[in-house]
Amino acid sequence: MSDQGSAAHRKRTTLARRLTHSLVALVFAVVVGGFLAAALVRYSPGFEIDDNAWNPQISAATRAVIHARREYENELPRFYVRYLAMAVRGNFGESDSFHVPVSDLLRQRAGVTVGLLLWGVGGGMLLGGWLAWLAVWPRNGVLAVTSGSVSGLLLAIPPAVMALAFFLWDVPVALAAVLAILPRVYGTMRSVWSGLYGSGSLLAARARGVGRGALAWRYVILPAAPQLIALTGVAFVTAFGVLIPVEAICDVPGIGQLTWHAAVARDLPLLCGLALIITFIVAAVASFGDWIEGVEPV
Amino acid sequence: MIWVRRAAIVILILVALGALFGPAFAPYSYGEQFRDAPSALPGGRFLLGTDQIGRDYFSRLLYATRISIVLAPAAAAVSIVLALLIAPLGAGRGLLRPAVSVFTTICLALPWIFLFIILRAELPLNTSPVLSVLATFALMGVAGWAWPARVFAAEIGRMENSGWLLHARACGIPAKRIAIVHAWQHLRSVALAQFRVLVPAYILAEASLGLLGLGVPEPLPSWGNLLGDLRHPDLVRANPWIMAPLVLLILVMICLETLGSAPMGEIE
Repeated sequence: MSDQGSAAHRKRTTLARRLTHSLVALVFAVVVGGFLAAALVRYSPGFEIDDNAWNPQISAATRAVIHARREYENELPRFYVRYLAMAVRGNFGESDSFHVPVSDLLRQRAGVTVGLLLWGVGGGMLLGGWLAWLAVWPRNGVLAVTSGSVSGLLLAIPPAVMALAFFLWDVPVALAAVLAILPRVYGTMRSVWSGLYGSGSLLAARARGVGRGALAWRYVILPAAPQLIALTGVAFVTAFGVLIPVEAICDVPGIGQLTWHAAVARDLPLLCGLALIITFIVAAVASFGDWIEGVEPV
Repeated sequence: MIWVRRAAIVILILVALGALFGPAFAPYSYGEQFRDAPSALPGGRFLLGTDQIGRDYFSRLLYATRISIVLAPAAAAVSIVLALLIAPLGAGRGLLRPAVSVFTTICLALPWIFLFIILRAELPLNTSPVLSVLATFALMGVAGWAWPARVFAAEIGRMENSGWLLHARACGIPAKRIAIVHAWQHLRSVALAQFRVLVPAYILAEASLGLLGLGVPEPLPSWGNLLGDLRHPDLVRANPWIMAPLVLLILVMICLETLGSAPMGEIE
């Protein structure tokens, strides 16, 4: 009994340590990411240009005072503290190309991207899981080769090309996101299913005549849940990268298209604001996935 | 399936030879314009036709293959070297270990394409095409160190508890010699496996960025910016040969994936 108690205590301690590690990583990501973003904005071309320099109504002495104050405020450490404080309040500055606050742009476009992300990650995981299942469970060589080939072919096509083809053929863009995510989760899902297929508990349950549904739920889905949740986190990170070309090419007004526009227009305040927010979201999801992976299966 | 892998190796060798020596046999330079023949169809004068401003497509494809095939492995090598330098710090003792672990986790969580796009946007507009292409691939190399570093750190951690290392230490072999002579033998195959994973990833990344106009800048050709022509469906219908870079890209990717899934010993 005391052995069980100490094992439970050890498990709780490990989980708490992993959670602390994830939270530290998250805070560190915001602090370091914020610093990089602030440094990039601070040293971006044209940042030091002051409109007052061309204002004839301001005297040279006043201009010098304003210039000195700007120089003082824009020293990197002060600028960083101000930038981070503003970012924490949800203010990421103003876009150079749209001339509106970055947070407004994000609010307007977040819905579209979240929808595509859900489709891409959800659909990709489901289809990828099904293909991986076909490769492992029926024990059929032809099915295994076919599913591996489909995944390999999808992985060989750049997501941007896939998006372009779907756009030209009037196929829903969400399908491009699904097919871009599928091969990126297929390999892991295949190894998860393979590991479970050979497990002794599953074979024993089969021998006992446990029904298919119960077998799938109790001996496959539940044991694989932590790994699948962690994989969803990875798929989420991948999806952000995939959605940039998909949205840019298919003219979808989401955050991916906004990023592409910001890159082409060299709009650094917008790019850095976007990168900071997405780093935070992605780091949070990845940390949660890592933490969950450490939770022992039910 | 060994014959499939052999076929993949042969195809890759042929493409690599084409990339290295093809430009020497290219009928024209990649930037030479024939203003009398814009969007020309394939024929005797232009094997794959010309693009919208009259540049020979076949010549550009040969040069593009060289850029994509040579620079993607170079970028992967940069990532591997960086990872090999950082991983021992992450496998060491003291505060450095959690610090490197957290930093690696953050870099893994970062959507690297954002970082890449930001750094590309920071390059001055008057950067020369050659410098720009080198910067593009160098950035890829620098951005991609995190995953191999984590794999190497795990491998080094496993080595620390291995019998051979304890034995070597007990025999009084200096740490430097253990690292260079013995540990490297173990890490070499892991490094090669990581290299095989990174090369296709970088080829694909360049293609996606090129299609968006954020990769290798004109007039230098790469698979990515040649794919940009696919954005004009009329051009594709008139001259389906402009899909040649896509076909080549997919073929190379499939070959790399085939080798990527093969056991290392089989390839060696």
